[in-house]
Amino acid sequence: MKDRTVDRITGVLGVAMSSTYVLHARSIEDSMLADAVGAAGVPTGVGVMLALASLALLLKTLRSAADDLTDETAEPETDASDVARHPHAMAAGLLAILAVYVALLPVLGYVLSIGLLIGAVAWFAGARQLLSVIACMVLAGPLLWLLFDWALEIRLPVGLWPQWLGK
Amino acid sequence: MVRQVSMDSFLLSLSNLASGWVIVAAFAGVLWGILGGALPGISPSIAMALLLPFTVGMDPTTALVLLASVYVGAEYGGSIPAILIRTPGTNSASATVIDGYEMAKQGRAGEALGISLMSGLIGGLFGLLVLVLATESLAKVALAFTPAAYFSLGILGLSVIAGLAGGSMLRGVIAASIGLMIAFIGSDPVSGVQRFTFGSADLLDGVKPILVMVGLFAVTEMLVQIGEPPWARGGQSSTKLKLPDWAMSKRLFKPQAIGAVIGTIEGVTPGAGGTIAAFMAYSEAKRWSKHPEEFGKGSPEGVAAPESANNVVTATALVPLLSLGIPGSNSAAILLGGFLIHGLQPGPMLFQKAPEVVYGLYGGLFIANIAMLLIGLVILGPCMWLVNRPKPYLIAFILALVMSGVFAIHQSIFECGLVLAIGVLGYGMRLLRLPVLPLVLGLVLGYLVESNYRRSLLISGGEHSIFLTDPVSALLLAIALVLSVYTGWKEFGSRKKESL
Repeated sequence: MKDRTVDRITGVLGVAMSSTYVLHARSIEDSMLADAVGAAGVPTGVGVMLALASLALLLKTLRSAADDLTDETAEPETDASDVARHPHAMAAGLLAILAVYVALLPVLGYVLSIGLLIGAVAWFAGARQLLSVIACMVLAGPLLWLLFDWALEIRLPVGLWPQWLGK
Repeated sequence: MVRQVSMDSFLLSLSNLASGWVIVAAFAGVLWGILGGALPGISPSIAMALLLPFTVGMDPTTALVLLASVYVGAEYGGSIPAILIRTPGTNSASATVIDGYEMAKQGRAGEALGISLMSGLIGGLFGLLVLVLATESLAKVALAFTPAAYFSLGILGLSVIAGLAGGSMLRGVIAASIGLMIAFIGSDPVSGVQRFTFGSADLLDGVKPILVMVGLFAVTEMLVQIGEPPWARGGQSSTKLKLPDWAMSKRLFKPQAIGAVIGTIEGVTPGAGGTIAAFMAYSEAKRWSKHPEEFGKGSPEGVAAPESANNVVTATALVPLLSLGIPGSNSAAILLGGFLIHGLQPGPMLFQKAPEVVYGLYGGLFIANIAMLLIGLVILGPCMWLVNRPKPYLIAFILALVMSGVFAIHQSIFECGLVLAIGVLGYGMRLLRLPVLPLVLGLVLGYLVESNYRRSLLISGGEHSIFLTDPVSALLLAIALVLSVYTGWKEFGSRKKESL
């Protein structure tokens, strides 16, 4: 994207975000302990600062045509390989895998969920050696569990297995 | 009255090292600290707290050296994943990500880790020297900080946004505003009213900076990397640790000195901490560098300055604790717990009641810094080997480690989801070319600025003149103004030059 287009999108999003934020800040009700500034005071100020910076960025896009040329020359070159893997779709896919992991963690427990996460991400990222992927899935869960639960004494979710197994 | 600590005291502290257990404690503490610091989510204070129960039966000096060594190790350990996988293990390693990871991407991971190790060592030893020689006078500085001065300190911190914004002040302000907005989530610092929590109990305590940093740096980087071709790394050459040679050491002297001075000031100020010190050191090193254009593109100076600063803080943060009994950070609070367990009360009387413990701690910190160097030399090679594994497996293991570390902070599923959301925010910011560092700075400074601004106005009865009548506050505001004007003038000058 051109710098100018990016600036416009950023400016519009910034103004929209600051408006929503300031409106929400103004709706905060102060308690009896409130000071003169109040709970909404500083957030409102920051919201206004965001709005001003965003508007300034928008105004910058109204520069002369000569600057357009500068923008085009300033545009970073895009390597064909950069887009070869549909980066946004890949990012969305990875995010979906991570979201499924977060949803499954309290259900399946840590060891199984983290193993599935590792297997799914490795496969999605391009690992095609099935044995290696399975070995990583099987070994990683218990190893990470040992590190966090046993060595660092951080309790990890066991999932619903005790309930399912009637314990 | 705090007792004057002289060079004799330092020599006495070295003699206390005759006890072999102190040396064992220093090495074990550093090793444990590096492991904890390198794991995202395990903060230095958590790594220290995990060992606290084990110190009960120990001799006081050994116990305190163990805890302090964990702190030293953890602050250093945080920079290893910051350089290798763009994941700061601790908050204060965030500034190291900028140029450290760029160097790693260029196949210069070994060089970056070598600079980080040596700068950390120099910073740690300098901080120790300051701790030993200047505790009394620096304690007075800590006492001079009123709420107005803390507010101005926060403003001074925010004044470096221009240096971190990558050439666009407006984008820097937008990013910093988003960081401040995130910082305001949770209970209001004065009245306790809930703000921007949308009724969620999970947000009552606000959003922890480490969650934002892990999301912005690690998760975002993986979301980007998944769609890119295999690593463009330097192959075998990048798996060798490279310590700075003489020419490089001469070049790094200035940023290390800048980091040392800023780390000293921030360290002795309770509540300021290594994160602010690291960012300010980075920004100032860039400002005074002969090669500012290299910053953000893999500058060795950009690694040296923050690493020096945050390692100085590991020693100077103990100044207010030892001299006044004030724990200025979570890690210092755990160390305070270590003192109390052994019936010792840090403060002015500590130097008279238990000087052998204080000097033993100094000696132990010296050993801990040497241990950091030796352990670093041993483990950094395998660490670099690990990150040169095939990309699909590496992405999978980094994410597994990140998600496990995030869960480990509060055992919260909600925070795992929050980190993913912040990762998406970081991805969007990359698309819009918004710099993330001002956001991190805004996030870290938000509470400091707001709470002290409002406290100051409560004290002054609403008079804003308090920020100018308080001498420390006025001085800090003046420095912030000078730095901002200087940066603006320099940026304007360079743009004018480009347009000619």
